[in-house]
Amino acid sequence: MEMKPPPEATRTLWSLRRGEHCAITGYDDLLAEAYKVRLMEFGFYPGETVSCLQSPGFGAPKVYRVNNTIYSLDDEIADHILVESTPPRD
Amino acid sequence: MTKVLLIGSPNSGKSLLFNRLTGLSQKVANFPGITVDVATGKLQGMDDVDLVDFPGTYSLKAISAEEKVAVAQFEKALEDNEVEHVLCLIDATRLEKSLFFTLQVIRECEQHGKAVTVLANMIDVLEANNLSIDLPALEAAIHTRVIPISARSGKGLADIAEQIRAARSAGAQARRPHLVDTPDELLRGTAHQLAQRLGPRGDVLVRTQNRLDAFFLHSVTGGFAFFGIMYLLFQSIFTWSTPAMDAIEGSLAWMADGIVPLIGNSILQDFTADALFSGIGAFLVFVPQIFVLTFVIGLLEDSGYMARATLICHKPLRYFGLTGKSFVPMLSGVACAIPGIYAARAVDSPRKRLLTYMAIPLMPCSARLPVYALLIAAFIPAETFLGGLVGWQGLAMFGIYFFGMFIALAITGFVSRARKDAFDDLPFVLELPPYRLPGIKPLLRNAFNRAKHFVVKAGKIIFAVTLVVWVLGYFPNYGADLGQSWLGHLGRVIEPLFAPLGLDWRYGVAILTSFLAREVFVGTLGTIFGIEGAEENMVPLVQQIQGSDLTIASGLALLVFFAIALQCVSTMAILAKESRSGTLALKMFGAYFVLAYAVAFLVYQLASAF
Ligand SMILES: Nc1nc2c(ncn2[C@@H]2O[C@H](COP(=O)(O)OP(=O)(O)OP(=O)(O)O)[C@@H](O)[C@H]2O)c(=O)[nH]1
Ligand SMILES: [Mg+2]
Repeated sequence: MEMKPPPEATRTLWSLRRGEHCAITGYDDLLAEAYKVRLMEFGFYPGETVSCLQSPGFGAPKVYRVNNTIYSLDDEIADHILVESTPPRD
Repeated sequence: MTKVLLIGSPNSGKSLLFNRLTGLSQKVANFPGITVDVATGKLQGMDDVDLVDFPGTYSLKAISAEEKVAVAQFEKALEDNEVEHVLCLIDATRLEKSLFFTLQVIRECEQHGKAVTVLANMIDVLEANNLSIDLPALEAAIHTRVIPISARSGKGLADIAEQIRAARSAGAQARRPHLVDTPDELLRGTAHQLAQRLGPRGDVLVRTQNRLDAFFLHSVTGGFAFFGIMYLLFQSIFTWSTPAMDAIEGSLAWMADGIVPLIGNSILQDFTADALFSGIGAFLVFVPQIFVLTFVIGLLEDSGYMARATLICHKPLRYFGLTGKSFVPMLSGVACAIPGIYAARAVDSPRKRLLTYMAIPLMPCSARLPVYALLIAAFIPAETFLGGLVGWQGLAMFGIYFFGMFIALAITGFVSRARKDAFDDLPFVLELPPYRLPGIKPLLRNAFNRAKHFVVKAGKIIFAVTLVVWVLGYFPNYGADLGQSWLGHLGRVIEPLFAPLGLDWRYGVAILTSFLAREVFVGTLGTIFGIEGAEENMVPLVQQIQGSDLTIASGLALLVFFAIALQCVSTMAILAKESRSGTLALKMFGAYFVLAYAVAFLVYQLASAF
């Protein structure tokens, strides 16, 4: 597998702070295909808006909202989801 | 016989509905991934129809070996001619999560010519918050009947029965296929659009949940809440189960006093007193703790809190190769390994579940308590300082408790680093369930079932082992002299094994019998030292031990040995059953014995040197 470092401007879902919104742009190459599919089934698919509801301290998994469902993801997976910032919805 | 399948995404309420429709009692909890096995039960009011509860899956595209099993089971069931009808349960408050899966299920059913009905569950939650979903539009869009129900309140359950009857008389052919050849990608898009268009409007549910999360997941308040709740949990295990434990002990003693003298045959009399009442009784005493613990953890789970505790513990546990999802099982293991092993079902990653299984038997379970209490009373000075606030004995108890947890984490940390790629792993994704008022009745029923299951399953093995130990200790001289019994001879055979720890044959035999259950160690020593009822009154036994030529080094070695060794047949039996691998339990037994022995030897040598 090719391991290009992501371009400077790319942010990952993990970098979101509490209350921030973003749109998913894709996944990086390190994420196994099966997980990509599963993430899409959860609702994390490209184009979708995700917001970070909670970002507990001490590296605990963060809490994200996609549509009406709330998931918590740890950095091992959220760091492979690429996002771009979007203006807040409300 | 015809069958109706019940399927749906995790935590959508399948098991609660299944229990409602069949009158059975599968475990229900507000935590995704609780049901792991397929359960079957007769539909109430329709004796010739079986309802089959499937484990929840997010999709028919499996990513772990276990999901593959569940999906394969579902696909096999669709081939089955007896299966007529599939009920697909969705969580109406979270349409997005369920619809893609629903469309996949509808497609499969069309391909196999099965009738399918969608059940929109949790309607009570929508109603309570003045929300709604556009059911007629949903029905039209997916060409499938959608019945609004609440598995909690019972609303709509009659409609389900009626629909099953109607589908039986109509036959599956009545359905015109719509989705047969639609690929997953298209279904996903459709599901997304439908959820956006028809799902509940407004953020009320998410907002309430988020307000509570802001408190329970906050770095400061969340931490305090966590420790406060854990403290209350442990208090409740001990305070709520003590009266019941005393009552069981009391009534067993009362029954023994009443029954034993009535038995004519003296061998039978001894057997009833020593093996039945003392042996079996020693393990029945722990049933209330299992009941209370299952109930209290159930309360926390069903309220939605356990999912938050899981997040809080995730990072530290991950360092040791575990996951936040290992927290509940390990917590349960502090009272007794058995409910802990059951709880490990919710660890979805097979690799981390295995590591969790390895950690649980090292948690300081309550059966170790009598052993620790005896040894500490015998060897650690009762001296206290700081006005009685701190004492050597208390410190020793605290130390040995943490020693067990420390060893557990050390082992999982080591194994996970040594076997980096062994077994499938899944990354940490947890659907955070909403906060809910717990349903008390199902929780009580579940706690009762766990306790019953423990008594029945473990009871058989314990009975068998008790019988063997008793026969060995009783013959050939009819209980007159344990030292001359077969067990005594056996003790001398194994004496060389325990001599390096400074232990003589009597302790060897006590360790041997404590394989049955750790607390048997105290009873066996009591018998050996010729004292009746050592478990009730420890002082004389303590003095006996102090009087025997056992050194403090050996005492410490024994403590350490009991903290590590997997001395519990019930745990091994349940472990073998739950992990579906007899070898895991045996390997762990062997490995922990060797480790326990090695560390005990080290401690003995070190302590002897000073
Ligand atoms: N308010 C409300 N709660 C419900 C309803 N149905 C289920 N629940 C709750 O939802 C949670 C999940 O229920 P389960 O029956 O364990 O769900 P499941 O689909 O079997 O879950 P898994 O076995 O983990 O896949 C529990 O806390 C139930 O009490 C309902 O109609 N209304
Ligand atoms: Mg279930």
